[in-house]
Amino acid sequence: MKDGASGPDNNSVTRRSFLKMASSMGLLAGLTGALAGCDDKNPKHPGGNGWLPNQYNAAGNFPAQVRGRVPIDLDNPSIMRDNQKCVLCGQCLETCENIESVYGYYSLPIVDETICIHCGQCSMACPTEAISERDDTDKVFKALDDQNKFVLVQTAPATRVALGEEFGLPPGAWVQGQQVAALRRLGFDAVLDTNFTADLTIMEEGTELIKRIKGEVKMPLPQFTSCSPGWIKFCEYFYPDLLPNMSSCKSPQQMFGALAKTYYAKARGIDPASIVSVSIMPCTAKKFECNRPEMNDSGYKDVDYVLTTRELARMIKKNKIDFTSLPEEKYDPIMGEETGGAVIFGATGGVMEAAARAAYFLITGQEPPALFLNLTPVRGLDGVKEAAVDIPGVGTLRVAVCHGMANGRKVLDAVRTGKAPWHFVEFMTCPGGCIAGGGQPRTAVPPTDAIREQRLASLYKADASLPKRKSYENAEVAALYQNFLEHPMSELAEELLHTEYHSRANKLHPLLFKAV
Amino acid sequence: MTSKMGALVDVTRCIGCESCKVACSLYNGLKPEQMQESKTTPASENVELAVSRWTVVQSHKFEKNGEQIRRFVKRQCFHCQEPACASACFAKAMQKTPAGPVVYNENLCVGCRYCMIACPFEVLKFEWDKPFPRVLKCQMCPDRIEEGQMPACASVCPTGAITFGEREKLVEEAKKRLAEKPNFYVNHIYGLKEVGGTSWLYISDVPFGELGFRTDAPEKALPEYTWEVLKWTPAIFVGWGAILTGLYLYNKRRAAAHDEEEMYAPVDPD
Repeated sequence: MKDGASGPDNNSVTRRSFLKMASSMGLLAGLTGALAGCDDKNPKHPGGNGWLPNQYNAAGNFPAQVRGRVPIDLDNPSIMRDNQKCVLCGQCLETCENIESVYGYYSLPIVDETICIHCGQCSMACPTEAISERDDTDKVFKALDDQNKFVLVQTAPATRVALGEEFGLPPGAWVQGQQVAALRRLGFDAVLDTNFTADLTIMEEGTELIKRIKGEVKMPLPQFTSCSPGWIKFCEYFYPDLLPNMSSCKSPQQMFGALAKTYYAKARGIDPASIVSVSIMPCTAKKFECNRPEMNDSGYKDVDYVLTTRELARMIKKNKIDFTSLPEEKYDPIMGEETGGAVIFGATGGVMEAAARAAYFLITGQEPPALFLNLTPVRGLDGVKEAAVDIPGVGTLRVAVCHGMANGRKVLDAVRTGKAPWHFVEFMTCPGGCIAGGGQPRTAVPPTDAIREQRLASLYKADASLPKRKSYENAEVAALYQNFLEHPMSELAEELLHTEYHSRANKLHPLLFKAV
Repeated sequence: MTSKMGALVDVTRCIGCESCKVACSLYNGLKPEQMQESKTTPASENVELAVSRWTVVQSHKFEKNGEQIRRFVKRQCFHCQEPACASACFAKAMQKTPAGPVVYNENLCVGCRYCMIACPFEVLKFEWDKPFPRVLKCQMCPDRIEEGQMPACASVCPTGAITFGEREKLVEEAKKRLAEKPNFYVNHIYGLKEVGGTSWLYISDVPFGELGFRTDAPEKALPEYTWEVLKWTPAIFVGWGAILTGLYLYNKRRAAAHDEEEMYAPVDPD
């Protein structure tokens, strides 16, 4: 339209008509949407689009299969869990209940703590690694960076037959020398051996056993070994009445810690306050043990940080050290010598075998016969093993060995009812002993006996090949007694190397038989 | 409407393993907790329900008979018998199903969040960071219940702290447990009468107030309170209209009469 006065063409869209159209269409669309929504035949509710393991998908309430998982507290010093990875398979619960007999053996309600013996076997069974060791590598890296600190490290007997598995070596590969080299390259100021205090433990524990047998100390028989911190906490929880049977010896790790900040510091002229004591262990319970209030006898915290084998492997990988091409190196002196008796501490029955060798010598003053160097009845993976050896002068020494606390219960119940014929009983929390500890490489999940046997074989092979196979032959231990402790169970030894454990019975209501 | 199914939580049987929480995340496909969070927020006193946490396990430490004790409490939507959220929702997005769960239909929701204000237990959480936000809470796994299965959380509980079943039978079971150990349990079933009854019931050996439960919850269902007022709506609506109409008519008549009077009033001779 050229005539502006006559208004716009009726056929063209004016602003007014466009707005009218848009608003009415909007109304129409809104109305349609609302009505469509109201007529929702399949209401969509949030959730329900996920997944649960098949064992939980069953009508009814019958608990046909294993359910749930183990409780792990936030302040557990040994293990932690990642909810994001958990698939509720229940393997941790099976392990805790059937192998360690912890879960299900206390009545509910709980008192004030989550019952855990820190063995870490659940972390070995977890298929998704939702349960893992509490990672302390950052703290150790920080200590290593601190120039004012003297960081020393001890390595447990069992880590040297498992660490290689983290780097592609076959199960049971002997990597003692490479482990020492790797630790030096990580920057540790002294690389020492827990085997040294394993030998020392044998001297102390053997002496204590003889004193008990001869009646020089008024403590009951059988004597229980005290090397396995998970077992100690288990005993404190469930069998507090048998704590007097527990050897007063600290574990080799804690003996080492106490000596590192006294004897070693003095020998090397180092201020004990500047020493950071790290230990490499196959064990998660050791993380709990080093924090026990009983373990500060050196005047400082005896062992500052405990790393599991897995954490050490992580540190080595983080620092890009090519583990398999490392040369074999030797431990540093003063607290670095080992004997075959110490090496087999990592195996179930090993403590017993080493103790038998030493006891024979301590009682008779003579070298033990060949039987003691190959004490087959206490070797192998049977749950409870027994042996009787003749020692001139005291007669027959009866011993028992058990591993896995479910097996431990059988022995403990026998002791409780007075049906135990033994003088000395070895308890190991983990099935197979330390070589299958809760901090070892997860080479097979769940852990298999095949791998346990390969690691055991490696330890016994090392024992057989060593020139010194009896703990009393350890020259550095002899020097320690000569220069510092005087003799086994001396006053100073009692102060540094022995302790007393206390009942935790008020922390739970135990059940003798599993709750169904 | 009273529901058929419910769940009974025995606080004394919980060991704080949080299997229920994991099962809930797995089954409902909830956003997995961040790595850091999943390690640092296990059962603790102040862990709260959230958009991605429909159930949580809270831990409480206190003293009882001079002894330090610790209790864990699983928290989630109570699924009230007469839910205030459903009553407040004008879009019918929150509804109580005949089986028991109070279910949220996201297609109907207009996002007004009245339900959140109405909920006496503050379990409803809003997706503040979403362009089309939903109001989220425990749905009590309605699909699983329909198939005769337990809700995800109840199906995984290793200790039997959560029992799922018909609410009436659960009330009987709870009463039986209270009767068996009268000196142990607190003689109270939480949820039996609170806000008119809830599908989730709790029994405990410590007072519920110490476990973080509302102790001032009325026994009457919350919708009843509003009903007391709202039931007068039709009467007021009609009555007020009638009154106003009457007044209008009266005033009109009076004004007309007044006008007439004025019109026919004798004129001042001056």
